[in-house]
Amino acid sequence: MPFISKIQRQTDYDLFPSSTPIVIDNGASYFRIGWAGENEPRVVFRNIVQRPRHKSNGETVTIVGDHDTNLLRHFDCTRSGPRSAFDSNVVFQFEIMEYILDFAFDRLGANGSRIDHPVLITECVCNPVQSRSKMAELLFETYGVPSVAFGVDAAFSYKYNQQHGICDKDGLAIYPGFTTTHVIPFVDGEPVYKGCCRTNIGGYHVTDYLKQLLSLKYPHHMARFTWEKVEDLKMEHCYVALDYALEAQLFQKGGKEAEDKSRCWQLPWVPPPMEEPPSEEEIARKAAIRERQGQRLREMAEAKRSSRINELENQLHGLEFLLQQLEHVQQEEIQSFLSETGYVSKQEIESTLMKVSQSLRKAKGERKAEQAENEEKADSSTSEKYPLVNVPDNVLTPEQIKEKKRQVFLKTTTEGRQRAKQKRFEEELEREKKNQQDEERRLENPELYLEQMRTKYIELYEKVEQRKRLKTNGGHTNGNNLSGGVGRGERLNAAQRERMRLLTTAAFDRGKGEDTFGAKDEDWQLYKLMSKDNDDDDDGADVDEAELARVCSRLQEIDPTFVPKPELTPAQPATAEAPRVRPLTKEDYQIVLGVERFRCPEILFHPNLVGIDQAGLDEMTGVSIRRLPSKDGALEDRLTSSVFMTGGCCLFPGISERLEAGIRMLRPCGSPIKVVRALDPVLDAWRGASVYAANLQFPQQTFSRLDYYEKGEDWLRRYQLQYTL
Amino acid sequence: MEAEVIKAELVLPTHMSFKRIQMYEKYPKGQSKVRWKQLKQILQAENYHNYPPDEPNYVNIESPPSMHPCKKICDITGFEAPYYDPRTNLRYANADVFKLVRSLPNEYVQRYLALRKAAVVLK
Repeated sequence: MPFISKIQRQTDYDLFPSSTPIVIDNGASYFRIGWAGENEPRVVFRNIVQRPRHKSNGETVTIVGDHDTNLLRHFDCTRSGPRSAFDSNVVFQFEIMEYILDFAFDRLGANGSRIDHPVLITECVCNPVQSRSKMAELLFETYGVPSVAFGVDAAFSYKYNQQHGICDKDGLAIYPGFTTTHVIPFVDGEPVYKGCCRTNIGGYHVTDYLKQLLSLKYPHHMARFTWEKVEDLKMEHCYVALDYALEAQLFQKGGKEAEDKSRCWQLPWVPPPMEEPPSEEEIARKAAIRERQGQRLREMAEAKRSSRINELENQLHGLEFLLQQLEHVQQEEIQSFLSETGYVSKQEIESTLMKVSQSLRKAKGERKAEQAENEEKADSSTSEKYPLVNVPDNVLTPEQIKEKKRQVFLKTTTEGRQRAKQKRFEEELEREKKNQQDEERRLENPELYLEQMRTKYIELYEKVEQRKRLKTNGGHTNGNNLSGGVGRGERLNAAQRERMRLLTTAAFDRGKGEDTFGAKDEDWQLYKLMSKDNDDDDDGADVDEAELARVCSRLQEIDPTFVPKPELTPAQPATAEAPRVRPLTKEDYQIVLGVERFRCPEILFHPNLVGIDQAGLDEMTGVSIRRLPSKDGALEDRLTSSVFMTGGCCLFPGISERLEAGIRMLRPCGSPIKVVRALDPVLDAWRGASVYAANLQFPQQTFSRLDYYEKGEDWLRRYQLQYTL
Repeated sequence: MEAEVIKAELVLPTHMSFKRIQMYEKYPKGQSKVRWKQLKQILQAENYHNYPPDEPNYVNIESPPSMHPCKKICDITGFEAPYYDPRTNLRYANADVFKLVRSLPNEYVQRYLALRKAAVVLK
């Protein structure tokens, strides 16, 4: 990773005299600050500020730069995301800028009552005067800086490399930055801003594009794609293809070359513990445990049953004794005797006796046949209970007639119940017989049977699908409803058509002019006809569906290769969900970067890919040359023979060749083109500024507080550095 | 504050000796009440039309729209995509990708379109 933060507090602040300028490279990605004349900036950090709240004591603190996420867990970072002072490449949030400057000066080791050094700070090309003036005000008022100079970072980088002989005094500086990309022509060592060109695309957009693509392709791992991680991926794996179409075709064919070019990122994945088949001892042990449990349960059941039997027997004895006693007792004393025992009459005692003996027999676990016998006995006793049923009406008194009605009713219900039971029994037998026949058929000729089952399944399936289609119909046409006629545009099934017909006839057929619907009682019968409850279409469907389900399960049992056809649902689940059914494998946790490797940096050359309607890098050089005030062929040649690339984004492999090819398309045939890259694209801007500030002529280029207040905003607007000293 | 946080000097101290006006004096009650002007507003307030048009300023130097024909690549795979799906407006490269396109839930479709700034934005 080429970008690292350095935030050690420097201790040698006091060693520098007041005349040594402080050099600041205020970039949208990183902030670099150091002393003039040195080779490396002292303090480097990411130009963002976070204001989270502390979890325990609730105070809001300020954290500048990106920090160890481990330490950040003490803070509640949900409400505050990282904020930047920049909007595109212009500083607009000066409160955040102040926090950043605070931090920077603090880490530089500043102490004393003010910053007593001149400051050289970088800004964007053609910085709006408001931003410039607010920055100057901040530096003068709050920090007490004696004098300030503003410069363009691309120009500093160019000058530095010019001194080192990388590029000539006439050239084009191409500066893909974090949020924007600039192309600035240099003539005689000075930037010509008239010919400058800016596109609002930069490293930020490339990283964002990559992040979105990966999140959409691997939605399950979305949490892994943090901004920092994706930036790392981008810097490590992305490259610029010389010809996008050719590369894409290579990947589309999917040959070995494509495989080589794809990079695969394996996420940490632990395979689920394999369940070993239980060993013999395990099985035996488990079986023994189960056996013991079963035994215990059985014993408990036995104990309960025997206690209940005892109880019932006791009760039986008691009742019999009572009956015997009753026989011995005299006629007159029956009533008093009975009132003592709690039973009202002899029949009651007898009936309880019978019930108790029945339950005793049940508890003793006698077979059902005996129960049926008992039931028959009960039946016969009930026929005695309905003594009045067979007696003709005219003999009975009114109360007895009522009694008779009741008994008739009871009798018919019990008989009905018995009949139903009988029918069920017969059906059981039928089904059993059919199953047995089925089994026999299967055993004697399995192949044929299977075939028959399958064809039956297909038929039933077709039928059910057909009916479903007729009913819903909406999802299966492509929107051209040619059968329009009935208003809603859907084909109605027979019942619905009938209903509509009834409605329309009822509405229009009645009397000429007047609506007399409802005058006659029969009219309301219409609703009964129309009622959806009478729809028995569904019943037919149910029967078929039940049959289908039965056949399906049967087939699944006996045929190992049978796969039930999935139901046609209108909304199909996303294919990302379908593979979830099988257990997750190692491959699911791999992120493959194939096409994305060169698709993302492509947006620098074709901003249309992300919807930004501006020229790409190669086209911008043409625009820049066109915009130059002087149309000099020789000058243009000189410019293109020294095309200088700087900025973090130009670290992509293959970008120089691509740019060269792009410029060649624009320029007349045979013109000299040479694309060079800065010595250190990331730090050269700061180094150039440092060299510039160390120059003896530098103080003439700065302006002091007095200048700022006296000369006013208009002067500030026209203020430009002179880069050749 | 936990010891490790203090040791790492994570937090910006509130008082800086080299500052004339401290942050808490300038912005009492935490955040500043001042609403900072966004870039658009700054540019509007600049009044560039008052100055000669050939003088370079922030708005002048912006690039014109691209003259080259728009490159059509598949939204999902990144290959060349001569076709586009009228229902979802996504570009696709071949029949397999088309199957994928049709099976995407609406949320994903909108996100793919948003990559190209072609999504339907309901303000």
